[in-house]
Amino acid sequence: MNNSRMKGIAMTVGALTIGIIHVAMAVEIVVIVNPKNTLAKVTGDQIEQIFLGKSTALPGGAHVSLVDQADDSALRDEFYQKATGRSKAQVQAIWARLVFSGRGLPPKVLGSSAEVKKFVASNPDAIGYIEKSEANESVKIVLALP
Amino acid sequence: VAFKDTLHRGLGRATEPQILFPLIAASLLAVIWGTTFSLVRVNQSVVAHAAAVSSRDLLGTYEAQVVRALREIDQALILVKFWAERDGSRRTLAELRDKGLLPPDLLFVVSIADRDGAIVDSTRPAGKQNVADQDYFRRQRDSDAFFIGQLPRGPTGEAKLHFSRRLNAPNGAFDGVVIVAVNANYFVSDYEPAKLGKHGVLGLLGTDGVFRVRRTGDAVISGDTIDYSAAVAGADDADATISTSRWDGAQRWTSARELYGFPLAVLIGLSVDEQMIVAQRQTRSYVGWAALRSALALLLTGVLGRMSWQLARGQRRESETKLAHAQRVEYLAYHDGLTGLPNRAMFSKLLSQSISEAHRHNKQLAVAFLDLDRFKQINDTLGHEAGDQMLQQVASRLKGCVRDSNTVARLGGDEFVVLLPELGDGKYAALVAQKILLLIAEAFTLLGQEFRITASIGISTYPQDGLDEQTLTKNADIAMYQAKSEGKNNFQFYSEKLNANSLERLTLESSLRHALERNEFRLYYQAKRDLVSGRIAGVEALLRWEHPDLGTIAPIQFLAVAQETGLIIPIGKWVLKTVCLQSVTWQQQGLPPMGIAVNLTARQFGDESLLADVTSILTATGMDPQLLEFGLAESLLMHDVDDTLRILTGLKALGIRIAIDDFGTGYSSLATLQRFPLDTIKIDRSVIRDYVGVTGDPKLADAIIAMGKSLSLTVVAQGVETKEQAEFLQTHACDELQGFYFKKPLPVDEFTKLLRGQATEITYIGQRLGLKAS
Repeated sequence: MNNSRMKGIAMTVGALTIGIIHVAMAVEIVVIVNPKNTLAKVTGDQIEQIFLGKSTALPGGAHVSLVDQADDSALRDEFYQKATGRSKAQVQAIWARLVFSGRGLPPKVLGSSAEVKKFVASNPDAIGYIEKSEANESVKIVLALP
Repeated sequence: VAFKDTLHRGLGRATEPQILFPLIAASLLAVIWGTTFSLVRVNQSVVAHAAAVSSRDLLGTYEAQVVRALREIDQALILVKFWAERDGSRRTLAELRDKGLLPPDLLFVVSIADRDGAIVDSTRPAGKQNVADQDYFRRQRDSDAFFIGQLPRGPTGEAKLHFSRRLNAPNGAFDGVVIVAVNANYFVSDYEPAKLGKHGVLGLLGTDGVFRVRRTGDAVISGDTIDYSAAVAGADDADATISTSRWDGAQRWTSARELYGFPLAVLIGLSVDEQMIVAQRQTRSYVGWAALRSALALLLTGVLGRMSWQLARGQRRESETKLAHAQRVEYLAYHDGLTGLPNRAMFSKLLSQSISEAHRHNKQLAVAFLDLDRFKQINDTLGHEAGDQMLQQVASRLKGCVRDSNTVARLGGDEFVVLLPELGDGKYAALVAQKILLLIAEAFTLLGQEFRITASIGISTYPQDGLDEQTLTKNADIAMYQAKSEGKNNFQFYSEKLNANSLERLTLESSLRHALERNEFRLYYQAKRDLVSGRIAGVEALLRWEHPDLGTIAPIQFLAVAQETGLIIPIGKWVLKTVCLQSVTWQQQGLPPMGIAVNLTARQFGDESLLADVTSILTATGMDPQLLEFGLAESLLMHDVDDTLRILTGLKALGIRIAIDDFGTGYSSLATLQRFPLDTIKIDRSVIRDYVGVTGDPKLADAIIAMGKSLSLTVVAQGVETKEQAEFLQTHACDELQGFYFKKPLPVDEFTKLLRGQATEITYIGQRLGLKAS
């Protein structure tokens, strides 16, 4: 390998990296539930209510079990931004107050979209979010956040 | 009683508008502001109490929350410690988390460090890798207890509080630390602005006095130190008290409580300023309300007060006018309009008062009557205006020469009186009288000319000369007339020695002066009988005085006084005028003309204006002079023959008949008698009485009748009282007779009736007398 070639690969990798980041920022997020869940659709407002702890049940009365993405994941920040219009710190403050005052439990945090998908697929009352590209028949999309 | 009076007066005065309405306004204001301030106080204390209670209640809630949160954290620490120590494995966290035994990942980070401080396991792998330099690590190395880390002083931001417990090796040696990290904000996340406001405080205080975290509004701070024991002192259930927060100087209802089982205390504070804002707003609204009500109350009472004041002022003015009018009326009733001196009524009142005083204190008093001499002349020659001026000057001179305690009054006309109360001795009255006489005697200037006048003064003293008002007044009057008769311009004290006659005379003179103006004189008419026909031949007018107290008085009783005082002149004029008018009246009534005889006195006859007066009266009344006959006393004619002749000629020239009265009493020279233009002789009643009748000698009467006849005079017999006398006179050819035998004198009405009855005969007599009936 000569130096210029090495350089070209490095540049290509850099460009790719930038592209991936770009794609990740613009990624489409979907809210998913267990396929057995009879719920066909939820609204953005309902999602906001649930993920900010203001509501613990979906329309139809089913108790929900929330799952969240990892604390440091970009997807999580983007989801909250899209679903609630709030920053990570704001969301954390809301949950801190709920937890401190004993009025709620925050979502279960899972390390990756795959784990989220797996958790939702195996829990009938679970509700979570992943990139649209990650979605498959093991889960049911009830809301897309473009 | 005095207090009651004062109270009553005070209440009475309080109803006056200028006091009443300010009082009402002040009371209204007092009520309004009293109520307002009491409301404000009550409201403030209610708010303060509510804040204190609220602070304590909030503390209770907060305490429960914090204790539960800390227990959750400590349980997690104990659980991890248990598993870590038992397994010796340092990688237990993922398993515990999967089992849901750790606090939520979202807020809490659980880590395990080995004995060197290296993080061997964590729920959040990306973080600090060695914690050997941290306070919790160092502290756990030395002791085995729940430990709470501190944060640097200042805003916490994203900083985390660390809670830790020590890991022990099986031999008890230090083997590492379990740490739970949580955002410091977590403990103050339940700060509710709705309850705590923007300036309240919510905090977690270490027993070491260091704030682990505290929040005021949105500011979350940690690290500052306060006096722990002072902050946490006090009974558990006590309401919060106001204290000044050390860190920002704000006043707060602060309450704090140490937590059970943890080296921490919770603290809550409510800002006094903030909590009291509501009260202050309410205070402002109360004050505004009160100000508005006050303004309305003032306006209302002001308007009412002004109306009432105006009404009262109107009433006051009206009553003042009435009072002034009443005072003026009273003044006029008791004062003389001309001189301003007290009048008779006032004097009378003052005198009776002074008499009572003198009686009570055993003192003397004097009444000095003063009458100006010749004042009538001043009035007649200078006119009433000058007379009035003189009276005014006399009044001021009189006032000038007596003490203030003495009273000078005007009784009317030129009569004044001086009342000298509290007389020391009689000499003072004499001194005053002398002084008055001297002052009056000084010249008066009237109409630019000097005049002199004198006065006569009579003095009576209490109690010597009388004990009552009437007696004193009467006696002073008598003394005054005494002074007049003593030659005027002097003063006399009343004396009992004044003899009864002079007393009567003086009294008579006094009332005679007023008789004419009071219309007390009457004329009586006595018929003369013609001896041939037996009919009424004429009439003689006779003067009578109907005195209000003494009854009818004959001229003989008062003529001397009238002559002396000169009052006979106006009386004579009145008689003549009345006679003339009566004669004219009779003729107008259709009665035949008839001669009327009137007697003249010496004083009248000697009066220079006699002819002028008679002429003017005849002209004024339209009397036919030929029907008028003047009777003159025989003695009068012989006094000054030439003068008499002149006057008689004058009267004759007017057409008046002349008769000699009382003939036979004087010593008339027949020669002289012949010179006078006489028409009638009247034989005196004494001649008739003495010489006519059974016992008498008729020669003198006979001679007189014969003489009269020879002089062609009508002969009238006076005082015929018996039938014998009448018959004698008839036989001796006397023409007419007069007397009680025929007719006594009659008042005008009765005499008029008599005339009507014999009208025809009189006509006949008239013809016989050579008069024409008209």
